[in-house]
Amino acid sequence: MTALLDVDELSVGFRTRAGTVQALSRASVTVAPGELLLVVGESGSGKTVLAHSLLRLLPRNVDVSGSIRLGGEDVLALKPDALRRMRGRRMALIPQSPASSLNPVRKLGGQLLEAAQARGLTEHDARRRLRELLAELGLDLDFISGRYVHQLSGGMQQRIVNTMALVGDPDIVIADEPTSGLDSDLVDTTATQLREISARGASLLVITHDLRLAQRLGGRLALLYASRIVEVGPTAAFFKAPAHPYGRELLRALPEREGKSIPGLSPELTALPDHCAFADRCPDRFDRCTEAVPDLYPAADGVLARCFAHAER
Amino acid sequence: MRVAAGVLGLLVVAALLANVIAPLDDTAVDLDRVLNGPSAAHLMGTDEVGRDLATRVLHGMRVSLTIAVLAALAAVAFGTLVGAVAGTMGGRVDSVVMRFTDVAASQNHLLFGILLVVLFRPALGGAGAVMLAIGLTHWPSLARIVRGELMSVRERPFIFASVGGGASRLRLARRHYLPHLMPAVGLAFVLTVPHAIFHESAYSFLGLGLPAHQASLGNILNDGQRSLLAGGWWIALFPGLAILVAAMTIGTLAEYWREHLHPRWRSELEL
Amino acid sequence: MLKLILRRLAVLPLILLAVATVTFVLTEISPFDPVEAYVGAENNVSPQRKAEIAHAWGFDQPLPERFGRWIGNLAQGDMGNSVITGGQPVAAEIASRAGASIALVGGALALVLVGGLVFGVLAAAFRGTFFDWLVRTMCYFNTAAPSFWVGLLALYLFSIELGWLPAGGSSDPRAIEAAGVDFEHLILPMVVLSLTGYAWFTLFVRNTLLEVLREDHVQFARAQGIGEVAVLLRYALPNALIPFVTLVGTHLAELIGGTILIEKIFGWPGLGLLTFNAAVNEDIPLIVGITLCGCVLVVLGNLLADVLYRVMDPRVREALT
Repeated sequence: MTALLDVDELSVGFRTRAGTVQALSRASVTVAPGELLLVVGESGSGKTVLAHSLLRLLPRNVDVSGSIRLGGEDVLALKPDALRRMRGRRMALIPQSPASSLNPVRKLGGQLLEAAQARGLTEHDARRRLRELLAELGLDLDFISGRYVHQLSGGMQQRIVNTMALVGDPDIVIADEPTSGLDSDLVDTTATQLREISARGASLLVITHDLRLAQRLGGRLALLYASRIVEVGPTAAFFKAPAHPYGRELLRALPEREGKSIPGLSPELTALPDHCAFADRCPDRFDRCTEAVPDLYPAADGVLARCFAHAER
Repeated sequence: MRVAAGVLGLLVVAALLANVIAPLDDTAVDLDRVLNGPSAAHLMGTDEVGRDLATRVLHGMRVSLTIAVLAALAAVAFGTLVGAVAGTMGGRVDSVVMRFTDVAASQNHLLFGILLVVLFRPALGGAGAVMLAIGLTHWPSLARIVRGELMSVRERPFIFASVGGGASRLRLARRHYLPHLMPAVGLAFVLTVPHAIFHESAYSFLGLGLPAHQASLGNILNDGQRSLLAGGWWIALFPGLAILVAAMTIGTLAEYWREHLHPRWRSELEL
Repeated sequence: MLKLILRRLAVLPLILLAVATVTFVLTEISPFDPVEAYVGAENNVSPQRKAEIAHAWGFDQPLPERFGRWIGNLAQGDMGNSVITGGQPVAAEIASRAGASIALVGGALALVLVGGLVFGVLAAAFRGTFFDWLVRTMCYFNTAAPSFWVGLLALYLFSIELGWLPAGGSSDPRAIEAAGVDFEHLILPMVVLSLTGYAWFTLFVRNTLLEVLREDHVQFARAQGIGEVAVLLRYALPNALIPFVTLVGTHLAELIGGTILIEKIFGWPGLGLLTFNAAVNEDIPLIVGITLCGCVLVVLGNLLADVLYRVMDPRVREALT
């Protein structure tokens, strides 16, 4: 089956005064139509950058290489008009912080309408679609239209941005850190909402550092460490038996397992080593690990790991 | 930027020293050369009584800078006094003083300064009155800085430690507060100087500062207005250019100082 | 909101009282002798004559009485009498010249606002291009260059060299009606007066806009497929304009000083020129009167800025009710 989204060797570096911050190094992932892919990693591992790269929402001081193919077209090569049409209609974003993602000084009605019309909907259709979607989530369009963001609760804000993501019936929805700032009892609610979005048929790419959410969502999982993807495979397989040492240590650190945190710190993105980035902290390290950067090797059925331990096969 | 600032800075310093080298004779009128444009002999031309403009501008620069620096010092003195009172006494004294500071800060400097100059000129002379006027109009930002720094340093643990060790108020002031204040106040002082240069020139331009025959950049500009009708544009151009260069140089150097020596006040990422 | 306005207006007399007190104290402690100034160079005026003048002006009364009487007069709008006009009431003098200055300042303010907005938005939109560099450089120049210097150069270039515009309005106050509608005479001083403010505003709009363009809600708007122009005009500009209006209120204070210098250069018969003449002739009552009026203007300007801010930002509006 041809992939809907094919990210190939994507590298993103930010030029700053302190040097180049390499947020992503030759990342490659694919998402099939209707599939759920999780991108998991610590804060600062490059996850949000991946989300922004897909929609080309990066700032001006970046170096980008590689390709991002959506239905065969390279997003990175799109002209401004085509890019604009792609955003929202084919690829939509559910932002990390709904409260700050809506214009604080404009009434919501106008913003929702403008977002819907940006997808090519007529005003009439836009209103109808918005009303439908909001009603499904328990919100009334008229109630919201006259209000400002700060007048609504966090939950309402979240539902509004979810609606905006879906109004154009996109092929793929990117959810950026959907549980950041939420209490742990809301994680399950979020997981349910996300699965409902997935059930509509759109592909779903969820960026998160929350392992509990990841486990509840299922699908496939890509693990990011220090700008590199170190493991890809079914989520269930990951939680049963992670192939990469970092994945293993991450799970061991969970309170419900051993609660033992990983010693050391992840490397600075301005000074990535020429070898395996996890080597310094890896309990299974051997000589080859500090000599070169490992490729992604098959570790088990459908699982790839960037670790020399799996290189022999 | 750094290089440019340094070079301009050297020019200003050279101007200051050159005054000592190139003597000025205000009465050296040369009625044969009245209102000549810039030439090889007179780089900036001559004024309406034949004096070399370049010499006058050079001396004017020295005079203006001197007055501006002293005026800025006056502002620092007043501001530090007010800020220290507010910062150390806190509570109601602080709020009253800061309200007063806010009102003073929002007034127009020139208008209030004119009143001060006129009132105090008989006693202090033109230059003195101008210094006082600038000092009494520019102190609010310094008061705020001093108050802010004092309030932040008072809460630091090493102060409590000192007090616990039996330090008196005076000792605290000398050994802890003063060194902490110096960088911020120093920077604020340097940043005030360009404003002081502008205001000194403005007062002199209005004929309220130094006596007309003494060369201050503002005075020369005032002469410049008169000679414009006769076509003497250089008398208006060069003094103003000198003011601009002086203000820009000092401002740039101050910004450089702020950028590089106060990392707290600098943003990390250049996005 | 109404409560805010009323509260601020209620404080206004207190502020004026404070400023008036400070002014009174300054006039008292200064060595300036108004009798001497009035008498001027005539040195054959007898001490009795001076004492008579002093008595006529109430200078021989005790301090608190004089202060009380002065404040009382101020409250009724009586700011004393001007010296240079031989005893005309200060209030009347100010009123008669205010119109010309209002025309000048109003025009300059309009230029500042429109110019600042237009060029600030364009510079932000075309960030990094030559146009942006050009706008920024001109603005840096205008913020550093003394306004009266630029005024002189403009006067020379446009009036004397090129002869396009007249060299200055008449400084005869009675010609005020003519000068008020005389656009030819108004345009040069108005443009020069607006230059410094225009420079600050342009830079401010540009920089604020660029900051706002980095905010989350702008990114999200782009993610919706909304075009750059719409993003700039509907998601960035309205947000950037909110701090902008506070600048407007405070710029009024700046313009007061600029007016004095510009009116002097161009001979525009407004309050600035009046202040200049008053200063040169040491007419203290007039200077004090103008200073107090300036104070009122500044307070009102700040109040306007605060009101506008609240009108424009729904978040602040909420927090206050």
